[in-house]
Amino acid sequence: MQTDDVELVRPRPATAVSSGRRPARRGSQPWGLPWILPALALVVGLIYYCIGYTGYISTLNWNGTAPDPTHVGLANYRQIFQDPVFWDAIRHTIVFFVVTFVVQTALGVIFAVLLHSRVKFPTIYKIIVFVPVVLAPATMAPVFRQMFAADGQFNWVLHHIGLGFVAQPWLAQSSTALPVIMFITIWQWTGLTFVLYFAAMGQIDSEILEAARIDGAGNLRVLRSIIWPSVRGTTVALLMLSVIGALKTFDVPYLVSLGGPNYATEFLGTFIYRISIPQAEVGYGAALSIMLLILALGGAVVLGVRGTRQGRSG
Amino acid sequence: MVRILSPWRRHRAVALAAVTGLAAISLAACGGGGAAGNGGSATSGNIKWWGWTPEINVANNDYIKAFNKVYPNIHVTYKQLTISGWDAGLRPALASSVGPDVFDIAPGAGMQQYAQYAQDLTPAVKKALGATWKSKVAPIGIRSLSTSSGKLAAMSVGATFAGSLWINQDLFDKYHLTAPTNMAQWVNVCKTFKQNGVGCFVQGAGQTAFNQDTLQSIADEIQPGYWTKASKGQAKWTDPTMVKALTIWKQLFHNGIMEKGALGVQQYPDANNDFLSGKNAMVMMGTWYMQYSTQSGMTSAISAAGVGNPKPFNAIAIPFPDVAGTGRTGTMYGDSDYGIAVNAKSKARNAATTFVTWLTTSKAGQQEVANALNDIPALNGVQPQWDNVTLVNKSAQQSALEKLVQQTTTSSEPRLSLITSDLQQAIGVASTTVAEGQKTPEQAASALQDAADKLPNKGTTTY
Repeated sequence: MQTDDVELVRPRPATAVSSGRRPARRGSQPWGLPWILPALALVVGLIYYCIGYTGYISTLNWNGTAPDPTHVGLANYRQIFQDPVFWDAIRHTIVFFVVTFVVQTALGVIFAVLLHSRVKFPTIYKIIVFVPVVLAPATMAPVFRQMFAADGQFNWVLHHIGLGFVAQPWLAQSSTALPVIMFITIWQWTGLTFVLYFAAMGQIDSEILEAARIDGAGNLRVLRSIIWPSVRGTTVALLMLSVIGALKTFDVPYLVSLGGPNYATEFLGTFIYRISIPQAEVGYGAALSIMLLILALGGAVVLGVRGTRQGRSG
Repeated sequence: MVRILSPWRRHRAVALAAVTGLAAISLAACGGGGAAGNGGSATSGNIKWWGWTPEINVANNDYIKAFNKVYPNIHVTYKQLTISGWDAGLRPALASSVGPDVFDIAPGAGMQQYAQYAQDLTPAVKKALGATWKSKVAPIGIRSLSTSSGKLAAMSVGATFAGSLWINQDLFDKYHLTAPTNMAQWVNVCKTFKQNGVGCFVQGAGQTAFNQDTLQSIADEIQPGYWTKASKGQAKWTDPTMVKALTIWKQLFHNGIMEKGALGVQQYPDANNDFLSGKNAMVMMGTWYMQYSTQSGMTSAISAAGVGNPKPFNAIAIPFPDVAGTGRTGTMYGDSDYGIAVNAKSKARNAATTFVTWLTTSKAGQQEVANALNDIPALNGVQPQWDNVTLVNKSAQQSALEKLVQQTTTSSEPRLSLITSDLQQAIGVASTTVAEGQKTPEQAASALQDAADKLPNKGTTTY
């Protein structure tokens, strides 16, 4: 039935219809392959070729420039599993993903709900919340390094509101450096979460909300039983973006804390860069990149399968 | 059998061939390489020079300007890359066929990675300085910039040495303080500065490569020569000297000398900016800081540190204080700051060689280097022409600078040339884990030795 609908939308060529023969599509219409070949060559040549080449490099002991790399088989992968910094990076990625996703989602929903209510100057609030999304991390990194320095503005504020006992060198301690990185990321990306939820909430039928109100539902009940289920698709999309974002995290920890102190803010991205570029262990760095690819694909598959199942059951 | 293609099929075949050809060409282009011809003219042409040092104003206004007085037909374009982005930028550029004609090489890890791309400069240097050329330049530059096969991959422009502290003498004068010579004096100086709301000693301990300088200074006070032996694998990093050096290093974080939060600070730009903007009175830097003794060098550096109305101050180098209580201070350690190499793939190799030999072997070129106060010249006997150098405070600074330069002439300890990037990382980890209290000095020294044992050459650098 669906095929017929499509055929109705796209009329057959007049010659084929009038002759009553099989449409001579192959002879008279342009063949599609030449048109997609440039893009295909680009994708296969640059992306898949590079992935394959990275896989090959991952079996080498090579500094990236020496003419005589040594084949080491899977030794680089064995080294990964014995490398405590790798496991630190994985742990940081998981903590980072959980915290940033939960907080960003909560803040995004709250801001979206508040701005769907009748507040004054909503546009100004929207701009304030969204501006961090468009600011480059490279621009903001020195600001945050200054702000969270031992004599920085954050501690200054704490001292002036009577919380001086909380003040500490935030970026100089392993225990506090990662929370600072997460704070910066939440500050930066909550605007995007908010915009997506704001748009999704605009699609909710107002009659449903009115019906809920008539039935006596309060604000929290409406949020929990009407709004939250209605924006589930947005939440799933944000979940996938957060997983990918967490795995790709590089700019903020590299620019703000150089992955330190003592690897406390080391992520897979910063680890790969440090190993491949300053330390010139390109073979080991390539093996780490392949591990990152496997993790990203695994995450995407898991989330995709779960999303499909829940979509069917829903 | 002859097949006649229909017009559309012919068109399709042509399109396919064209697209496939384009794809093949673009992929083949990724391979880079290619013949570099005969190297072109030695007295004319355009050459690109990439470096992380010198500063752009020094390269353009001093070095290249003076070079063009002798070789007006060689146009040199200098591009300065950041230290942190150097490897990421240079490596693919050299692997391609369109990289720079001239590029900086650092001793140690830099030589390890980039010497293969450099042309052997021995014939050119022999031609410029004669058969006895080795006796006419600093041996440290030849040793650290030659490969094990004897190829002179780069010519040293000059040397830099670490082991000194730089102080803001104006701030010391303002609070009636004298430069500290031991730990107790250093603690008192910092106490006074802090009481007056001025930062004392700043070190970007979060950028761990510079922690190595402080540790080497402390270790040299405890046991002269130990650091070099350990770097060569001839002494253990678990030696009591290293344990004591790490113990003293840790004390600096707890007795008020090191700024609170130093582990979250980077040497560049944070510590550098804090000192130049007058926020802190002392910083751990080496002879490369001499360039900030000049009016122009200091003014532009303060401006680059974010100060709106830069006012140059009197910066003086002092020996690292006797923190070990042994009475041994003032050891300087260093290498060639950088050499400049000619890219073997360059199509303007001969013009590039002319520039490199002029800057590194001619008296005029080396005089420019000396006067810029960035490096100790590689060519023997060249000293800064103090009458041509405008210092911020000539009466106070000139004698101190002369003394500093004199100190470097007796130095025999390398700074970076024996340290691979892996070993440097391990030293950095030892320094930060001790500073943060995650490991005792003994544990950190042991972990450092473990890391050194895993290195292919036990810490020594081969090219």
